[in-house]
Amino acid sequence: MSPKENPSADSVKDKPSQCQTQLASADPSAPGITTSRRSFLKAGGALSMSSLMGAAALMGQSGDVEAAIEWAEHFQKNYRLMTPEEKAEARARLERRYSAEYDKKVSVDGTESQPGVLMGYALNIRKCIGCRRCVKACVEENNQSRGSKPGQRIEWIQVLRMERGEFSQDKMDHGYPEGLGIQVGGNAYTPAGQVLEGQYFYEPEAVPEKDATYMPIACMQCEKPPCVKVCPVRTTFREGDGVVVIDYNWCIGCKMCMNACPYWARRFNLTTPVLPKEEMNPVTHYMGNRPRMRGVVEKCHWCLQRTRHSRYPACVEVCPVGARKFGNLLDPESEVSLILARKNVFRLKAEYNTFPKFFYFYD
Amino acid sequence: MKKLVFHTVILAVCCAAATPAFAQEAAKQEAKETICFESRKGASEITKHEIKPGLPNVKCSPTTGATLWYGDPYDGTVPMGKMPLLDGIPEGKAVVRPRSEKLNLLGMCATACHNGVVPPGFPKHKKPVPIPTMESLLPEVKNLQHGRGRIWCLDCHHSTKRNMLVDHFGDPVSFDQPQLLCGKCHGDKLRDWRDGIHGKRIGEFVSTGKKRWFVCTECHNPHDVQDGARNKGFVQIAPESPPQLPNGMKDAKHESVHGIAH
Ligand code: HEC
Ligand code: HEC
Ligand code: HEC
Repeated sequence: MSPKENPSADSVKDKPSQCQTQLASADPSAPGITTSRRSFLKAGGALSMSSLMGAAALMGQSGDVEAAIEWAEHFQKNYRLMTPEEKAEARARLERRYSAEYDKKVSVDGTESQPGVLMGYALNIRKCIGCRRCVKACVEENNQSRGSKPGQRIEWIQVLRMERGEFSQDKMDHGYPEGLGIQVGGNAYTPAGQVLEGQYFYEPEAVPEKDATYMPIACMQCEKPPCVKVCPVRTTFREGDGVVVIDYNWCIGCKMCMNACPYWARRFNLTTPVLPKEEMNPVTHYMGNRPRMRGVVEKCHWCLQRTRHSRYPACVEVCPVGARKFGNLLDPESEVSLILARKNVFRLKAEYNTFPKFFYFYD
Repeated sequence: MKKLVFHTVILAVCCAAATPAFAQEAAKQEAKETICFESRKGASEITKHEIKPGLPNVKCSPTTGATLWYGDPYDGTVPMGKMPLLDGIPEGKAVVRPRSEKLNLLGMCATACHNGVVPPGFPKHKKPVPIPTMESLLPEVKNLQHGRGRIWCLDCHHSTKRNMLVDHFGDPVSFDQPQLLCGKCHGDKLRDWRDGIHGKRIGEFVSTGKKRWFVCTECHNPHDVQDGARNKGFVQIAPESPPQLPNGMKDAKHESVHGIAH
């Protein structure tokens, strides 16, 4: 969606140009990020005079509903601290804004976590064929940005391709030191077995390839999430049913969580997200797939808008080999519980004590 | 040279006249028929249609023709039917897409050739024999890639009721319930399938929820389970497009360079 099609989304955020700040970026080519909305609240400890004037001027000018909505959004509290009435109001406000923006009836659900539910995920690493359908299904479902310019295409699931490597007669003496190497697990220079130097951009004609294995990675919904620990504004947190979510409205875009995450699960909206009206999924959740704004972090939330209503996540449903499994860990009859009970299971980087609720298994 | 130009002009004129009609026709065709496949390309196709305004039953990948999203996970399903140990599931909570709709030869099987009687000259044993008529109809059975020569047609197909599969007792099994057939030899897989670990279920994940179960033949071609060079496993399909390259990077060659210098 170009700025022209979407006049309301960023108008307020970008308007008070007095309080635009350049965020430090590791990428020198990255454009400066406007954090007007946050600095709006932060500058000088409280409201800065200039920003107040800026916003007031804006409201005076257009006086339209959109601006009023934006104005209210700016001053809304951290979602977790809102009363139920305030939450409902915040969602209704968003519904109005999104519906106008995307030209269709958009719902913003607020269903809370249910007692007795702890969501869990299991992925059969032996079955995955690396077809990336899960990646694309996730984008269809979760309203990620899908432009073509740098930073405009966001995908939450990454599929890592790993070469099998080989043991072979002719490499027997190609170890280290030269001529004497013993080929145990390959040798230092031609590793055999799975090599963790993976490839993300693989593009063969057909998958699975004979000499490769694949490992999809997304948010692990850790029980002890490092991202939650580091968030300076506590906008990302663990929900009662175990899913780690983000209140996008409260995110200041500092990217601390991205650095803290050992699983490369979080993505940053470097640009205004590109989400064509006809492709936008109108069934959204406040903590889930509602459209994001520029300058906020997002990640997988196990399709809260679906799973809070008992529906399987989108990635589970499209996997052609049935490698993806989802269910309630507290229900001993659920497919994930049965997998934990019966199969060989491991968690990625378990040594970090993050306690992921995403399990890899094989049979 | 001149002649060539002349021809081109004629061609162009013809085309100009013809294309609008063609294009319209094609557009119409495309508008009503978007088809995408689920797991088995060529054997598990779904036609896209709207369930309500703006909500399609499926979304299809424009690049690979794969199913990418389910608007209605129960589209085109029927009750799964009786299954041992799954009879506790309330009526209508376990559904499948019927396989019989996908099998073009099925109608013919029961009526034209094998109409409930053993045809004359039919072998008395179940061992492999060449069946030219079947091979011409269905080339994949010529060199049956299932069981490494130890199983043959009548281990799976009913000898007189040809629109049926067969269980261990010789009783007929519906093509819509292949799990009852496959399970007689692959008991471990059947158990995992029943528990939702092997195969796939979509819809509501809670134990009490309504689910569409994918049956064995929606993923496996029973006549070819040993896929070519891989010798087993899932048939190859085209992958979806890779992620966006980091800003400023021209290609992903850096990834394929593995050697660690010393
Ligand atoms: C391992 C069990 C098994 C064996 C062995 C087997 N089939 Fe089948 N056959 C099936 C199943 C199951 C189907 C239904 C396939 C589906 O749903 O896609 C089927 C389908 C068919 C069909 C209908 C195909 C269509 O597209 O309409 C024919 C014809 C057929 N088999 C012939 C044979 C012949 C001939 C042999 C022996 C050379 C044979 N089958 C061996 C299990 C088997
Ligand atoms: C009559 C017994 C029998 C039936 C019925 C049967 N199979 Fe098999 N299946 C076998 C045998 C035997 C093998 C070969 C195992 C080997 O030696 O590699 C096999 C192999 C397979 C393999 C490949 C296993 C591997 O590791 O490569 C798959 C997949 C498979 N069967 C699926 C099915 C499906 C799906 C059905 C139902 C349509 C089915 N089978 C029905 C006997 C059977
Ligand atoms: C959602 C798709 C799907 C369904 C449904 C499914 N399978 Fe499989 N099956 C697979 C995949 C993928 C593999 C792994 C192939 C490989 O070895 O790489 C597999 C492997 C197998 C194997 C080989 C053994 C192994 O572990 O590799 C057998 C036997 C088998 N399946 C039988 C069945 C039977 C019987 C059913 C029905 C009760 C069934 N499958 C249903 C996708 C499916």
